[in-house]
Amino acid sequence: MSATFQPALRQRGDFLRVAWAVCREEWRALRRSAVAVTAGTLLLVLTVAATLVSWESMRAVEAERAHLQHEADEQWNSQPDRHPHRVVHYGHYIFRPLSPLAFFDFGVDPYTGHTLFLEGHRQNSANFSDAGQSSVLLRFGQLTPAFVVQTLTPLVIVFLAFGSVARERERGQVRLLIAQGLPGSALLAGKLASHAAVALLLVAPALAALALIGIADPSVRPHAAWMAGGYVVYVVVWALAAVLVSAATPRARDALLVLVGAWIVTVILLPRVMPDVATAQVPRPTRIETEVAIHKELAAFGDSHNPDDPHYKEFRRKVLAKYGVSRIEDLPVNYGGLVIEEGERLTSALFVRHMHEEFERQQEQAAIVAAAQFVSPVLALRRLSNALAGTDRASHERFLLEGEAYRYRMVQALNALHVNEVRYQNDRDQRISKSFFQRLPRFVHEPVGLPTVVEQHVRPALAVFALWLALLAGGAWWLARRLEQGASAR
Amino acid sequence: MKTLQLELRLALHSRLAAGALVLLLLLAALAVWSGLHAVSIQRDALARIAAVQRDDVDAVAQKYRDGGEAGYAAYSTPHLTANPPAPLAFAAFGQRDVQPYALRVRLLGLHSQLYESESINPELAAAGRFDFAFVLVYLAPLFVIALMHDLVAGEREAGRLRLVNSLPAPGARLWRRRIALRFGLVLAALLLPFLAGAVSAGAGLAATALVALGAALYLAFWFGIAAAVAALVRTSAAGAAVLLAVFVVLTLVLPTFVNGAIGRAVPVSKGAELSLAQRQEVHNGWDLPKDETMAKFFRTNPEWRETTPVTGRFHWKWYYAMHQAGDDAVAGKAGDYRAALTAREDWTAHSGWLLPSVAVQVLLHRLADTDLQGQLAYQDRIAAFHTVLRRFYYPYIFNDRPFGPAEFARMPVYSAVAPGGGVAVPALAALAILAAAGLAAGAIRLRRVQAL
Repeated sequence: MSATFQPALRQRGDFLRVAWAVCREEWRALRRSAVAVTAGTLLLVLTVAATLVSWESMRAVEAERAHLQHEADEQWNSQPDRHPHRVVHYGHYIFRPLSPLAFFDFGVDPYTGHTLFLEGHRQNSANFSDAGQSSVLLRFGQLTPAFVVQTLTPLVIVFLAFGSVARERERGQVRLLIAQGLPGSALLAGKLASHAAVALLLVAPALAALALIGIADPSVRPHAAWMAGGYVVYVVVWALAAVLVSAATPRARDALLVLVGAWIVTVILLPRVMPDVATAQVPRPTRIETEVAIHKELAAFGDSHNPDDPHYKEFRRKVLAKYGVSRIEDLPVNYGGLVIEEGERLTSALFVRHMHEEFERQQEQAAIVAAAQFVSPVLALRRLSNALAGTDRASHERFLLEGEAYRYRMVQALNALHVNEVRYQNDRDQRISKSFFQRLPRFVHEPVGLPTVVEQHVRPALAVFALWLALLAGGAWWLARRLEQGASAR
Repeated sequence: MKTLQLELRLALHSRLAAGALVLLLLLAALAVWSGLHAVSIQRDALARIAAVQRDDVDAVAQKYRDGGEAGYAAYSTPHLTANPPAPLAFAAFGQRDVQPYALRVRLLGLHSQLYESESINPELAAAGRFDFAFVLVYLAPLFVIALMHDLVAGEREAGRLRLVNSLPAPGARLWRRRIALRFGLVLAALLLPFLAGAVSAGAGLAATALVALGAALYLAFWFGIAAAVAALVRTSAAGAAVLLAVFVVLTLVLPTFVNGAIGRAVPVSKGAELSLAQRQEVHNGWDLPKDETMAKFFRTNPEWRETTPVTGRFHWKWYYAMHQAGDDAVAGKAGDYRAALTAREDWTAHSGWLLPSVAVQVLLHRLADTDLQGQLAYQDRIAAFHTVLRRFYYPYIFNDRPFGPAEFARMPVYSAVAPGGGVAVPALAALAILAAAGLAAGAIRLRRVQAL
């Protein structure tokens, strides 16, 4: 029993030793190469700079939004005694707070408005997005750690690794080594390990930033950990792919060409082309069209100002029956307030329905883009990264839905005051104490829960990477054999 | 001529070179098509909006068959404004996919209506558009690098460099001819699809020529830099590495740095502040004595001072005066907001003096009228139309004149002109200077190429 295993064990020991030797050798070569050291150092500096810059700018944005929210709350509280329906029209402003991880990846945040004006009967758009207030420069991308790792790091990895195997083969070293009994698999494993390690080194400052935020803010610790995992797998995929391409192509020059081409297509081109495809495939109505559609549907419900309107006639009958009176004037509550309350119920249901329809269309478009993530892993990484940073479309949609829910609660609470605190006679000339308004609850934004994020965005993205890793492992196995055969055939 | 043909054959003989040129041609064609498609989507949307708007106004008009109050008509009638894409928008789509291109205004306060956003899919917008400007700025330099990185080293590696240098014609002229040829091929691959697009979009000749000039200058810069690097490096791989690094720094890193710096230096929270202030002003108006509001209004609209004073609980003239007073009160803040936006544009343009990628973007987007300046101009047109609306409604409201179907039919209509963009002269000048500098660097370096 032990006799049959002995050679296998010894072989594995050899394998590891050889792979380790190759790995160390590759490292030494990289350390000596001026290009590699310069590129690596520049990238590290850039990551640190990006982290500091975006951390600073996110803090400024956060402070500004908090300040504006405070100001809006102050304005709300300092209202004089008013008729509740005046307050329904006075409305309230809410500003979307940022997640602590937003500094790492701005995501769609610059493209969405973060200011919602909430008022009765109307649903306003989220206004003042950064993109709408910036010059064309914004479209170049933003200097965040995410941008550096997603876009620039792969390119540096490519430059460090394109010659890893191909150059040695060009010089005939590979054949020599294999002829001396070095297993092709060990050679490849060593190269793969060395470049995977380099990739980890390149991404280290970004990981350190994530670790720091995890230490500082325990609430986002698991988010930061998942994110770090995603970025690590991403750069490792690039490193492995680069070495394998180098092993598969006859000359280093060709490897570089293939790899830079792959970078252009997957990192620069596809992420831009796919949205165009999605826009063409799934048409969406404009804001004005939706507005008019809601307006029309609303008109079909009935007109509260028309005394003969069937919907409101029935409503009046029910209200009178409920209180057991025959005249509106005899009601113990304010009928005018009840009608407004009913109208708000109808409009808000429409708003929410149209919102969900719109979100579904956007989801359909996103699914078309996401289909390309199997070819373009950066799309999978972006999905994971944005979702964990709380800067993805889902987070924005949640803010809009919560904003609408809050708007409804706020307006209905004011309408309830109208019903209960304002007499029906001489309705409009009355005011109620400002203390009523000051007691109304404030808007609290709850970010999407981590389990949902993991379920909907992190797992699918990691599945894509798993597929890539499996593919690369298969490729490595095949290439290792080819290395050995190629060497012995000659 | 014969040598040129020979060189052409030489250049295209390389599978890489020929493939790259065909690919660039295809990508440019795809980008032009995609841009034209995006423009047609917006035009269709504008047509649909115009149709639903007609329906909507007709429904309001129905209620006015027997006449009514002008104030209520103004309150319930939305007026459509539109910002149709300029002919060259297809080439540089710019801000058009994040900015509203149609907006409805009522006689209410302008600043509570002006900053409404369009419903966009932020995920798609964040990726940026695949248009001609993108191909020119990001992809074309990569093709230049592919064609140029081994210009000298390739000859050296093939062992022909000595031969080349010993030719009777000075080496520099040979390099120049080769570079000019490649330049022409790349430019043609880019511009042929663009010109086809420009013709089909009906773009003006001058604007089209300026885009072509901008593209040529931008490419010239890259060819110059590429030649300088190619002459400096020993191996073609090093040439590719250095050029790619220059590319990444000039088009990816520095512009995002500048954008971050501008965002920091010129904050624009003033937009939200302006909204808050305007709301406060208008709604406090309800609690103020009416005379006070009217007095504020008469300060900017003295011509209505002599009309009958407002008595009673509510009058439309007081209501609209309150809204106008709200706008007047935030005029200063609105000016600040606008100044901040303009400052961002200006700083971007200044950075174009050093960054050719920014300069060419500024030039193209100004020609296509798809930049922030184009959006601000649209806001100005909306504001002017709002003034037209006020001039139309005020006489009915302030003189209590009847407002019937005839008046309803005479309501002002916004005429949506598709404006052409302008020429960003400084950006063009910067581009010319940068191109000249790049070419000079290339020429000087090439003259010193040694056969070793």
